[in-house]
Amino acid sequence: MTDNKWLSTHTFHYSQFSDLARLVQIKQEKGLTISLCLPTLNEEKTIAKEIVILKSELMSRYPLLDEIVVIDSGSSDNTVKVARSFDAVVYPADEILPAYPAYRGKGENLWKALYVTRGDILVYLDADIKNIHHRFAYGLLGPLLTVPGIRFAKAFYDRPIAIGKSKVRQTGGGRVTELVIRPMLSLFFPELTQIVQPLSGEYAGFRDIFERIPFPIGYGVETSMLLDICETWGLDVIAQVDLERRVHRNQDTKALGRMSFVVLKTFLDRLERLGLVEFRKQLYNQMLQYQLVQDRIVPDVFEIQGLERPPMIEIAEYREKRGIT
Amino acid sequence: MERHVEALPAMVDRICALRDIIIANIVLIGQVPAPTFQEKQRCQKFMNRLLECEVDECTTDGYRNPLGIVRGLDPAQPPILVAAHLDTHFSRDVDHDFTITEERIIGAGVLDNSVGVGVLASLPLILKRLGVRFQSDLLLAGVIQSLGRGNLRGMRHLVKTWATPIRGAVCIEGVELGRLNYYADGMIRGEVTCRIDEGQKVEMRHQPNAILVLHEVINQILEIRLPQKPHCHIIIGKIAGGLEHGISAYEAELGFEIQSNSDRMVKSVFADIADIVTGIGHEYGVELTLETISNLSAARLRYNHPLVKAAGTVMETLGLKPQGAPSESELSILLSRRIPAVTLGLTRGENFHQINSAMEIAPMFTGIAQVLGVIAAIDRGLADD
Repeated sequence: MTDNKWLSTHTFHYSQFSDLARLVQIKQEKGLTISLCLPTLNEEKTIAKEIVILKSELMSRYPLLDEIVVIDSGSSDNTVKVARSFDAVVYPADEILPAYPAYRGKGENLWKALYVTRGDILVYLDADIKNIHHRFAYGLLGPLLTVPGIRFAKAFYDRPIAIGKSKVRQTGGGRVTELVIRPMLSLFFPELTQIVQPLSGEYAGFRDIFERIPFPIGYGVETSMLLDICETWGLDVIAQVDLERRVHRNQDTKALGRMSFVVLKTFLDRLERLGLVEFRKQLYNQMLQYQLVQDRIVPDVFEIQGLERPPMIEIAEYREKRGIT
Repeated sequence: MERHVEALPAMVDRICALRDIIIANIVLIGQVPAPTFQEKQRCQKFMNRLLECEVDECTTDGYRNPLGIVRGLDPAQPPILVAAHLDTHFSRDVDHDFTITEERIIGAGVLDNSVGVGVLASLPLILKRLGVRFQSDLLLAGVIQSLGRGNLRGMRHLVKTWATPIRGAVCIEGVELGRLNYYADGMIRGEVTCRIDEGQKVEMRHQPNAILVLHEVINQILEIRLPQKPHCHIIIGKIAGGLEHGISAYEAELGFEIQSNSDRMVKSVFADIADIVTGIGHEYGVELTLETISNLSAARLRYNHPLVKAAGTVMETLGLKPQGAPSESELSILLSRRIPAVTLGLTRGENFHQINSAMEIAPMFTGIAQVLGVIAAIDRGLADD
């Protein structure tokens, strides 16, 4: 049973950090640089707004961010063209560290961002946020810059789901969190249930944290990141920040099922590594779903290899680039 | 050509360099819903953005119109008013999240008038970055309660209560780049409502139908003889009523507008319509009411007024062809109070009043340069009588 003490001492609201001039001053006094990374795959509808607002507010007006970098997984729409038209630096993920086999996935993009960015702090934001506001970035940076001991900050929010063309519903979202990850955390790591949205796609942290943890290439990255940071540095290096409202694209139940499969697989893998459980046989890599096609039930197979990138600090090219001996 | 006008084309690229900040203001303000009479949150956001863009002073007037002031060099000069209306046609439950593409910004109300308000909020920073200072103070007003039943109350109150003379004014609207409004027709906007109570329907041999009653009203309005001079026309713009296919309508509404360059003619036609409504209501034995929603007086600057000529020169210098037309906006209130004023459009777009209205980004920078050119003309005394 957890005493919830962490919840009261490590939970913040973005408005506590809305004095941007002060954040910039602290950043400069500490001699820090900050990179913002947007991982993309077919985000032409939202990417421009994210770049424009973050650039306007946190680069042009307040120099809080030193760079905005888009890492693209091979979008087939105009994501790359649109991002470049608003002067963002765009890297096709496949072109980063080309000596290594290329994979497609959010975790892959986040991992590769470590190689191409230069910031001491990295902010990762999903690129599908319809109601992007610069609070998404400065809210996460606030605890890292102003609260001693905080090395990693994670977002939470209300998540209205866009339903149809023009109406917005005020509650909902976070189904994988409530149906999958929270029950698992309650069973194995009850202290982590204090993290309101463990799967939120928006977080920031110091490079020396990110470069020392492995990155699953797909959806499991948030799960593994949280468990690995807690295991290595403890819960007290983590802060969570209320960013209030986030509007994103809704996903259907089948897609959420696949996401849940990946999250569960990552979680179980970590349990095994930590010696908390022992499986007597290898877990399967296939998620089986079914659909009715006319009068036949047809299986829909979703396969994940469970691939993981090693901590970036173990990559020779990275060590060389950053002068790590 | 005067030097400040010659410099305008080069200014477009320098304004374009501030693209991110200007677009951010349009989006951050425009995404706050502001149906008429419910503009409070957008007012707050507009004022925040003015402050973020380093406006010298920021306040509200007695009617809660948000105002920003950019201090001029000569305190003795009266201020120049730059205004954009804050309210939109869309209710709060409409999704106001905008989308930005390479060339456009798309979203409910972006053309009418989030782009105007966003540009207005950006002006202090644009002026600062361009190193432009005026002799007069600039009074940047995001006026509330403009549309529909708002009846331009925000602007009416502002000019009625502003303590000093106003040297001249520029009203900014989203579209269409190239518009140059310097006169306003007289206008009355009215609504005819027909209501039939259910009991009355049962008692009568011939059941009245609210839609058919309004149909008769329309027929009789169309029979009104309108003169060739002064120009006058009646627009039947809106109709609504009924419940479902198989039930005679209990209630129906008709919205119309009378426009003329003669206030006397507008009033005369309105009186004719009032007679029609009274007569038909009596004849059919139904509750038929006529309500005035809003009204404007006809007012104009001469085509050869120095401000109109200067605005035309500014536009032509920027490659725009000035298009004159009457405007039923804040312009009318300003002109009727003898404040020299024009209305300008900022950019091009489509789906003007739909939830997917879309503005083009690139022409907007020319539109902003044009606004600065006209403000400069007023500042040089071209509107001083």
